[in-house]
Amino acid sequence: MKNFFKNKKILATFIVVIVILSMLTISVNLRNRRSAPTFVQKLGNDTIAIVARVVKWPVSLFTGSIDSVQDLIDTQNENDHLRKQIDNLAQTKARNSALEDENTQLKQALKLKSTLSDYNIVNGSVISRSPDTWSDLLIINQGAQSGIKKNMAVMSGPGVIGRIVEVNRTSSKVELITSTDKSANRFAVEADAADGKKVHGIISVTSGNELAFTQVVDGRKLKRGTRVYTSGMGGRSPKGLLVGTVKKTTRDSYGLSDVIEIKPAGNINSPSIITVIKRKVAD
Amino acid sequence: MRILREWYVAIALLVALVLDGVIAFYAQGIIFKGTYGASCWFTIIGIVLMGLCDDRNDSNIWLVFGIGIVADLYYLGFLGVYTVAFPAVYFLAKSVARFLPEIFWARLMVSLAAYLLLDAYLFLAYSIAGTISLPISSLLMSILPSWGMCLIIFLITYSFWIWLINKYPFLKPENRFY
Repeated sequence: MKNFFKNKKILATFIVVIVILSMLTISVNLRNRRSAPTFVQKLGNDTIAIVARVVKWPVSLFTGSIDSVQDLIDTQNENDHLRKQIDNLAQTKARNSALEDENTQLKQALKLKSTLSDYNIVNGSVISRSPDTWSDLLIINQGAQSGIKKNMAVMSGPGVIGRIVEVNRTSSKVELITSTDKSANRFAVEADAADGKKVHGIISVTSGNELAFTQVVDGRKLKRGTRVYTSGMGGRSPKGLLVGTVKKTTRDSYGLSDVIEIKPAGNINSPSIITVIKRKVAD
Repeated sequence: MRILREWYVAIALLVALVLDGVIAFYAQGIIFKGTYGASCWFTIIGIVLMGLCDDRNDSNIWLVFGIGIVADLYYLGFLGVYTVAFPAVYFLAKSVARFLPEIFWARLMVSLAAYLLLDAYLFLAYSIAGTISLPISSLLMSILPSWGMCLIIFLITYSFWIWLINKYPFLKPENRFY
C-alpha cells in the first residue's frame, strides 16, 4: 500500500479515474432528477440547436433530392394502397363523428371535464441525433416555448417512439423507447386479451434489443397482432397511444411472468417528423 | 479579421460537431442497426489531425476540452464522456506525432485507432453510468461499421483539415507553415 502512494503516476491515474467516475455518476443523476437544465446549459443547447438548423439546411437539400427519386418509385405502390383505403374512409369518418358526439354527450352527463385519453399535440422535426452508436437520443426543434415538459410522450408515424428527457427553450432531447437505460422511465401499457379483459404491463427492452411488454401476469391470452396502447397510468403520457402490436410471447428468465415481444408501430428507425403529446389531465 | 483567422479551426470543429449529429440523423436508417452500428464523428478526425499536425500548440488541448463540454451537454445532457474523450484522443495523437512519419497512411491508422478507442470508452462510460446495458458483443459488432464510417469521413475531410490546421493554427498567428 505504501508503494502505491509513493508511485505518483499510479496515484495520479487513480485520482483521475475517480474524478471521471464521480463526474459521470453525479451529472447523470442530476440530469435524471431535475425537471429542467441550468440556464447556461439551456442557452448553450439552444445556440447549438440554431447552428444545427443552419447546417441541416444544405444537407437536407442534398438528401431531399435523393429521397425525391425514391419517393417517385414508391408513388405507384402507395397510390394502389390508398385507393383501397379511400373506399372505407367516408364510412369511417361518419362513424368517428357519431362516436365523438356520443362521447361528448356521455362526458357531459357524467360531468367529466378531461379524461386520461384527452391530449393536445405539438408537431416538430428532428434536427440532429446523438452521433455515437450507443445512445438513442434525438434533438427536436420544440422546447419549453411550445409547452413541452419532461417525460411527455413523443410519436412519429402511427406510434410512440420515446419520451422527452430534457427541455430547453427552443429545443428538447428525446430518448427513444428502445433505449437500454435502466433508469429511464417506462411507458405503462395495456392490451385487450382474447377473453375481453385488459392486460396491463410496462414497455421495456429485451437483451436482443427488441421492444417488450413485460411484468404481465397472463400474457398468453394476447394473440399475435393484438394492439398495445399506453394506459395513461405512467405520469405524463395519456391513455390510448399506440405503441405496437404483439409479435410473440415467451417467459422471462425466472419463469415468473410473460415477456411479450412487440413490433413497434412508430417510426423508430428513422424518425424525422415527430409529435409531442401533451396530456390534458394533470399528473 | 486577423483574430478571426486564429479561430478558424475552433469554428470548423464546432461545425464538425454539429455536422456529426445532422449526418447521424440523415443516415440513421443505414448506420444504426439494432444494438450495433457505426458512429459518425467528423470531430474526432479533426482532433486527431490537430494532434498529429499541430502537436506543439498548447492551446489545442483547451479547445478540444471546450468542444467536449459542448458535445456532452448538447448530445447527452451530462458531463464526463466527450469532455474526457476528446482531450484524451488529442493527447494520444500528440504523443505519437513525434514517432510517426508525416504521411497519409500513418495518419489514417491513428484515426482508426482513435475511433476504436473512443467507441470503447463511450461503451464503458455509458455502461458505468447505467445509460446503456448491452452485451460486449455489441461493441465488437460495431467495430467494422465504425471503421468503415471513419474511413469515409477521413477520405472526405483529410485535405480540408490538413490545409486548415497548417494555414490557420488555433491561436497561433505567427507560426504559419505551408
